[in-house]
Amino acid sequence: MRILKFALPLALAAVLSAAPAADDTFAVKGATIHTMSGAAIEGGTVLVRNGKITGVGKNLAVPKDVKVIDGKGLQVYPGMIDAATEIGLVEVNSIRETSDTTEIGKYNPQLVALTAVNPSSEHIPVTRYNGITSVVSMPLGQVIGGQVSLMHLDGWTTDEMGVKPRAGLALKFPSIQSGGRFQMDSGGGDAGGGAARTSFADQKRNLDKEIAELNQFFESAHRYKQAKEAKLPDFKPDLKLEAMIPVIDGKEPIMVTATKEREIRDAIAFADKQKVKIILCDATEAYKVTKEIKEHNIPVILGPMLSLPLNEDEAYDISFTTPAVLQKAGILFSLGSLSGGANLASRNLPFQAGQAVAFGLSHEDAMKAVTKNAAEIWGVGDLMGTVEEGKWADLMITDGDPLDARSQIRMLFIKGKPVDLSNKQKDLYEKYLGRP
Amino acid sequence: MKQKFAGILLIPLALAPLATTSLQAQDRGTYALKDARVVRVSGPVIEHGTVVVRDGLIEAVGANITPPADAWVIDCKGLTVYPGLIDSLSTWGNTNTPPAAAAAAAGGRGGGRGAVVATPVVATPTPAVSTAPPSRGPEDRPSTASWLKAADQIFPTDRAIETARNGGFTSAVTFPTGNIFAGQGSVIDLAGDRAGDMVLADAIGQYITIPSGRGGGGGRGYPGSLMGVIAYIRQIYMDAEHYKLAKSIYEKHPDGLQRPAYDRALEGVIASPRVLLPATRDVEILRMIAFAKEMKLNAILYGGHEAWRSADAIKKAGLPVLLSLKYPERVADSDPALEEPLRVLELRDKAPTAAAALEKAGVKFAFYSDGQSTPRDLMAAVKKAVDAGLTPDGAIKALTLNAAEIYGVSNRVGSIDKGKIANLVVSDGDIFGVRTRVKYVFVDGGKYEPLPEEPAGGRGGRAGRSGGF
Amino acid sequence: MKRSVFIALLLASALSAFAADVPVLIQNATILTITNGTVKGSILLRNGKIAAIGDKVLAPPGAKVIDGAGKFVMPGIIDCHSHIMAEAINEGSVSVSSMVGIEDVLNPEDIAIYRALAGGVTTANILHGSANSIGGKTVVTKMRWGATAEAMKFEGAMPGIKFALGENPKRAGSSQGGFGAVPTNLRYPATRMGVEDVIREAFNDAKAYKASLAAYQAKLAKGEPAIPPARDLKLEALVEVLDGKRFVHAHCYRQDEILMLIHVADDYGFKIRTFQHVLEGYKVAKEIQAHGAGASTFSDWWAYKMEAQDAIPYNAAILVKKGVLTSLNSDDAELMRHLDKEAAKTVKYGGLTETEALSLVTINPAKQLAIDKRVGSLEVGKDADVLLYDGHPLSNFSKVEKVWIDGHQYFDRDEDEAGRPKKAIEKKALTEKAAPAGGRGGQGSTGGPNQ
Repeated sequence: MRILKFALPLALAAVLSAAPAADDTFAVKGATIHTMSGAAIEGGTVLVRNGKITGVGKNLAVPKDVKVIDGKGLQVYPGMIDAATEIGLVEVNSIRETSDTTEIGKYNPQLVALTAVNPSSEHIPVTRYNGITSVVSMPLGQVIGGQVSLMHLDGWTTDEMGVKPRAGLALKFPSIQSGGRFQMDSGGGDAGGGAARTSFADQKRNLDKEIAELNQFFESAHRYKQAKEAKLPDFKPDLKLEAMIPVIDGKEPIMVTATKEREIRDAIAFADKQKVKIILCDATEAYKVTKEIKEHNIPVILGPMLSLPLNEDEAYDISFTTPAVLQKAGILFSLGSLSGGANLASRNLPFQAGQAVAFGLSHEDAMKAVTKNAAEIWGVGDLMGTVEEGKWADLMITDGDPLDARSQIRMLFIKGKPVDLSNKQKDLYEKYLGRP
Repeated sequence: MKQKFAGILLIPLALAPLATTSLQAQDRGTYALKDARVVRVSGPVIEHGTVVVRDGLIEAVGANITPPADAWVIDCKGLTVYPGLIDSLSTWGNTNTPPAAAAAAAGGRGGGRGAVVATPVVATPTPAVSTAPPSRGPEDRPSTASWLKAADQIFPTDRAIETARNGGFTSAVTFPTGNIFAGQGSVIDLAGDRAGDMVLADAIGQYITIPSGRGGGGGRGYPGSLMGVIAYIRQIYMDAEHYKLAKSIYEKHPDGLQRPAYDRALEGVIASPRVLLPATRDVEILRMIAFAKEMKLNAILYGGHEAWRSADAIKKAGLPVLLSLKYPERVADSDPALEEPLRVLELRDKAPTAAAALEKAGVKFAFYSDGQSTPRDLMAAVKKAVDAGLTPDGAIKALTLNAAEIYGVSNRVGSIDKGKIANLVVSDGDIFGVRTRVKYVFVDGGKYEPLPEEPAGGRGGRAGRSGGF
Repeated sequence: MKRSVFIALLLASALSAFAADVPVLIQNATILTITNGTVKGSILLRNGKIAAIGDKVLAPPGAKVIDGAGKFVMPGIIDCHSHIMAEAINEGSVSVSSMVGIEDVLNPEDIAIYRALAGGVTTANILHGSANSIGGKTVVTKMRWGATAEAMKFEGAMPGIKFALGENPKRAGSSQGGFGAVPTNLRYPATRMGVEDVIREAFNDAKAYKASLAAYQAKLAKGEPAIPPARDLKLEALVEVLDGKRFVHAHCYRQDEILMLIHVADDYGFKIRTFQHVLEGYKVAKEIQAHGAGASTFSDWWAYKMEAQDAIPYNAAILVKKGVLTSLNSDDAELMRHLDKEAAKTVKYGGLTETEALSLVTINPAKQLAIDKRVGSLEVGKDADVLLYDGHPLSNFSKVEKVWIDGHQYFDRDEDEAGRPKKAIEKKALTEKAAPAGGRGGQGSTGGPNQ
């Protein structure tokens, strides 16, 4: 059965693949180590054995059998994590055949993103090139799109890539899409166009219906679970509702896409009512709801902050300053490239974080947002996100600040294995640079 | 032209089912409105004066006039006489059917995705399915009916005529609608049995509308965007110039020259002494001023909600303005969470100040109904403009003489002067007063007496109009 | 109120923006001139122009002196491809829409102008969209926020026209409804071959039109009766292209279509001024260079459509290295706000120097638009289109603090921030005034009023 197939073998897989391999045992010496768990260590050493970090410190002894990488003048960071993206699920945005993000139907909790991830996607090496070692890939959909999958950006197969195939349930919270059309009444301009307007009363009625339906779906999951536990004779397994059990049990979070204030508030109310764990995603207007978000201890994944304000009169830098606002409010947050678009692709995640630094977030907090925070939000804080003993050696070694576009990633490790930094784009570059 | 006939008194009865709110006495006899406050508009107010009406014309007006012996004397003590009000851009009385041939064959409403915004209330019965191919360019003359004249499609029994008249409107400058080159407007009087009797001036200008929407993929042919519409209008006026020239050269040398093809679109443009250009927001006003200058058009701007910003520029350009009395409002029943830009809020807040700004800048302007047909709403809107600084004199002018002057018919209507058409409104107070009632209306010398309105709380009140949920 | 300040500025800038402006002296700053190295010192803006740059510049009487210690000064950013402030983008109904022009539909109140300013953009080439093989006329503008549409135009800048190759112009020729659907109302062309044909046919027509004008003149000269040809706005624009009076900015992706257009231009005797997007330009850099065209590309867009599959972030670097005049553009109101950071990516991808990188968004686009005598670098005598940063412009951690155009300050981050509370109050007041009686519902919908 599907659930077993995914849930069981992970720990095993990690152990099995840890068979001694020369290249996942090494030490980086003399580098500045940005652990993200404490102060940076100048001239420090990171010891990696069998893919795991076994030591971090200033004066660590490196055993004789361990290959040493000279880190002099270089920086070591944990690999970055894109907390919400579509990598692997879509290759060319405009070609439907290359997209596996969106299934038919409103409620599809049984779908798992990793199932459709293409390990050969060109996006994977291109994204890695900028220091991103893990991503959370998410199905879209009308309401419940499916299960998001946390995966490494390396592996021969999806099984090898997968870290947490069922990291959370992707829920797009029902909303009212109010068009930004205002009666200006003129023979031109942006008035008019589009389909006939639905009245707000009708939209509201529809929204209430959608939310009621969503609640009902959760109620069905509860009844299903009861029936299952009661071992009723006529109990029939249902893949959709089966997939909901960890969610209603609070073991699996729901990644709720809620952009505007109303949706965010509605989502919080929903979580209260259903007593489920949520992560707010693409919460552009989270800055308007910081108090409630903090009170409920809800983590937030911000979408690309290189985006325009939602309203004309909003401060021009509202999306740039939101991370600093959340930080100040004590809200745990991370960044995701989401559906990105051409220029907001996952590989630009570090520069999104850099923009937050320009507008008030501390550099350390920005770095944490794309490493430690993301790992914690997705429940893998024990595996990745910092350079600490016991964690996977998901490391990037850079010649400068990774959030600054002018620096280069020199080496990248995923589970201690060096990752090839070449990609199609670099190949084309080299090929055509040499065109006579 | 006009006929008198005997059975006049029977007519109100015959029309009774239609004319439910006014008593009509279409006897174009002789009347003397005695002891009235006479607001001539063309001159100082006469506090106690008399207006004599005979054979449809104003025979005399003044303080010391003795009513003629044959006149039906109306004691107007306590009443005020104004020139009849004029709606300066209207669809009243217009059957307003865009010619299917032009609209359809030429690509619907210009290919735009939106409605023709300049005439919001009037439905534009574009054929639902057009089998004609989409327009491929200006040469197909898309969305053009420039040759149409409103005078040729007047519908004397249009309910709007009576409603407006009961509120004191005696004339309207009415236009065909539904196309970029919508056609030619006509000045009509708001009473008459036959369309021909109602027309004061048949071809006073070309009405240009611009479909809204940003445009894009096309689909319905050229022009499919604001840019395309402007380029199209430009091309048409260039073509019209060329057409005139080509025809004149051909007249002189018909031998050996190619015959210029007859072009009704250009004929219609050439026959129009004025051009009405849509200009509501500041940016549109400035855009259309520049366009009128570039094309050397005898232009009238209409819309004007944001003219408070551009009054000086309008003055400098020397263009008259038709000011809409339909102020922009928040879309009824819109999402309360939908944040409106300051820009929009300000435009709405200040729209009623446009009239005062134009007056101050010395721009000639007239009001128009902009799709509204209830005189009470129109008067309330004028009142708003007065509250926002427009002088009462300016307000009455903008509903009478200015409109007449803008269209070149001030020698016929627009003020109370000897020899002008007897279009008058008699009210029991200031015409813009909330409680003021229109007692009599004279159109072409015919007397109309509106019945008292139904008690307050009925339809048409201000309360009934405010939106929201 | 800020707005009325802007409206006041409107008049000022429309006539002479700088007449009323006091001289501005920025001292102790790192000045990136782009064309003449880096100067640690001062820059003086006076009468709309850059009046002096040097180690020490004396403040003229009445000058506003700004301490630029720790700060960076660079020329205003120039975006060679934008669609902001246009109330229409595409006249997509026809394959050749050269009769329409963006200059007819500029909206100076588009908030994107202000946002672009806040990102350091001072000049932008506003283009028609890419729905047609030959699109509409383009116009170069300055971001004089608060000015009229007319005053936004970069006075004296050469007008342009948009061409478009590849997927976009052929889209209207593809049947809607997927494979096998019955095509209705298809608009030629549906292939890249057809795109070429449309352009050739149009220039054939333009040449014939030009010839008919000449024939008419000849008849007149001989005293023969003649009717002049009717003016044709569509063909007039193309005749201007043939006469070198209008720049061609050609949207393109794949190398084949780039070569195609070069051949067409050669055959008809005109030049492509810039290839826009030109994501496969790196494959034909040699040919682009030989034609003398510029390239205006994205830093790293890719994968959003089939023709962008071979797009590489090294495109700009290869083009620069192969001698093509190259710029980075935005094509997008958001990306426009950080063209500086886009330029920084060319240091990463392809190893351009910092000056080369900054040139991609300053002097190079200025040259492409032939406005480099006025803007694009910090040189005495050039327009005082100047940015002040709180750090190096290529650093992701720095931001624009102040922007001057023609020596007039159009953006000030401190003022922007300080003005926010007042704006909010004003807006609240107007919103309440406009709201019909009876309160509005709350923001949350759950438990809110439900009618």
